[in-house]
Amino acid sequence: MSKRTFRKSLDYVKKEYKRTRTIPASWYLSSYKYKFNITHMKPFLEKLKQKKLVGLECSSCNRVFFPPRFVCGKCLVKPDRWVDLRETARVATYTITYIKDPETGGILEKPVVCIRQDGSDTTHLVNLDPEVDYKDTYIGMPVKVHWADNPTGGLMDIEYYDVIEDDAKDLGLRKD
Amino acid sequence: MGRQVAIISAGFSEHASKRSDVSMPELVREAIDDCLKKVPGLEIKDIDAFVNGNMPAFEGSNIPELWMTDWLGARNKPLMRVTTGGTTGGSVAIAGYYTVAAGLPGVDTVLAVAFEQQSQGDTSVGLASVAYGEISVMNTLGIPYEQLTRLLSAGAAIGIASYQATNYMRRSKITEEDLARVVVQNRRNAAKTWWAHLKMPHLTIEEVLDTPYISYPLRYGMVCPTSDGACAMLFTTEEKAKELCDVPVYVNGVGSVANETAILGYCGSGAGQLDPSEQLGAQKTAELVYKQAGISFPRKEIDYAEVYSPFPNQELMWVERLGLFEENTAPEMYANGITAPDGELPINCSGGVNSTNAIGASAMERPAVAALQIMGKASNQVKKTVHTSLGHGWGGAVNLITMMIMSDEPSRKFK
Repeated sequence: MSKRTFRKSLDYVKKEYKRTRTIPASWYLSSYKYKFNITHMKPFLEKLKQKKLVGLECSSCNRVFFPPRFVCGKCLVKPDRWVDLRETARVATYTITYIKDPETGGILEKPVVCIRQDGSDTTHLVNLDPEVDYKDTYIGMPVKVHWADNPTGGLMDIEYYDVIEDDAKDLGLRKD
Repeated sequence: MGRQVAIISAGFSEHASKRSDVSMPELVREAIDDCLKKVPGLEIKDIDAFVNGNMPAFEGSNIPELWMTDWLGARNKPLMRVTTGGTTGGSVAIAGYYTVAAGLPGVDTVLAVAFEQQSQGDTSVGLASVAYGEISVMNTLGIPYEQLTRLLSAGAAIGIASYQATNYMRRSKITEEDLARVVVQNRRNAAKTWWAHLKMPHLTIEEVLDTPYISYPLRYGMVCPTSDGACAMLFTTEEKAKELCDVPVYVNGVGSVANETAILGYCGSGAGQLDPSEQLGAQKTAELVYKQAGISFPRKEIDYAEVYSPFPNQELMWVERLGLFEENTAPEMYANGITAPDGELPINCSGGVNSTNAIGASAMERPAVAALQIMGKASNQVKKTVHTSLGHGWGGAVNLITMMIMSDEPSRKFK
């Protein structure tokens, strides 16, 4: 196991409690059935199959939702206008996760990014190019859609986001 | 048009990661006994109504308020359960306030209890029960499970906080050392509080920075524990409060406002808040509550604040969003010792959620400690006299804020 993830505990003042009887039980979540309305996703998914990006615009406040949302929380209006979006996006926020590699047992350090597609007003959790070093991620980083080879009409048609060159003038400041 | 509500007492059970010696009702009873001990003139039979709550599904016990009625002392009396996820405690306290403020005949004294025994259940199952529907939908929309676990492993409570942390760090240009400083202050304060969980009297910044990352930029040493514990508060009318205790604490403003979710959308949709550290909901709640309490300069008028901060970056964020400090100045205030127990504006002298986190009870412990600080009965009592204090809670689908402003003087409108 890598040194980074070795669990070093901090000492604290502990009090011992006398253990009384406990009875084990389990709770199966998979037996539940959930009802969700995803009809508003259908046109979006069809467009994804053609390698095109669309957002849903609220006709009241003109916010563009990407991916589409059923109701606009601001105006309680069902957004119904479809707008085309560009393939570029910017990183709105990110974090780095530490996950066990199933093959080697080592620790994978992967950035998980939340992007804001250019032309939309919402953020979306996506994957970043697996070859990108986690240290290079920063807020405001420009990225571009990398399409899957055979789109099937699902959210995974956007396989991941490629990093593109940043031409911002305050790049040093941003990366800081 | 309502009536003035006062807090006359607040009590806690001992908090630990595993309270293996007691069952859930026994734990709750511990807090109630501690609460009643502080008001000698009141017995459990004098209480007219009960409000309680805990986080649903975290312990795997449904409707606990019904099978522990006897332990609560609520037999043949009005009983209500309120639960709003992470802010359950805050909502329970507010429900207690509402019950008294409503002025129902025969309902004067209300006991509000919030509890959680996390060692009984599995927190990850509890969180999964919240997010399971969302996950199924995402899976239907074409994201395979192994991808989802990766995306959502940064999407539980710590995930949300780490996004807030990266954005906050960018906004105010702070380093991890600033985050660790907050943790050190909290854990040292916890060492002076009898009921706190993580008591670390000799913790240093280096020790915190030596622990591994859980999710960048939050390290193992910065993260809140999972605790077992309960908290109880007694609400009553102004007249009764004057009879029963020396320093009644008047509740002058309550508020709970939900904003659009950040990070997590609904059914895989986009999330409305572009910057997770912006927290419009908190700003709105603060505005509302300060207006109720007649506070125009929170920095000067509030003497003590308890904010809900499982992670250190949140503590810095909340004190700014609630108007206690100007934007991006909070890390400086922590470095200068203004927020220490002997400072100008002490914050989280009980150690905060960062040291003790029994989820259902956490948001209630904030107003409870803030009230005890006014009474002068808190276990880590601040040096200066506290006239007005603030208790804050955060949770729900990461977007609900609860707040309570307390003072030693009744609100102007009831004078």
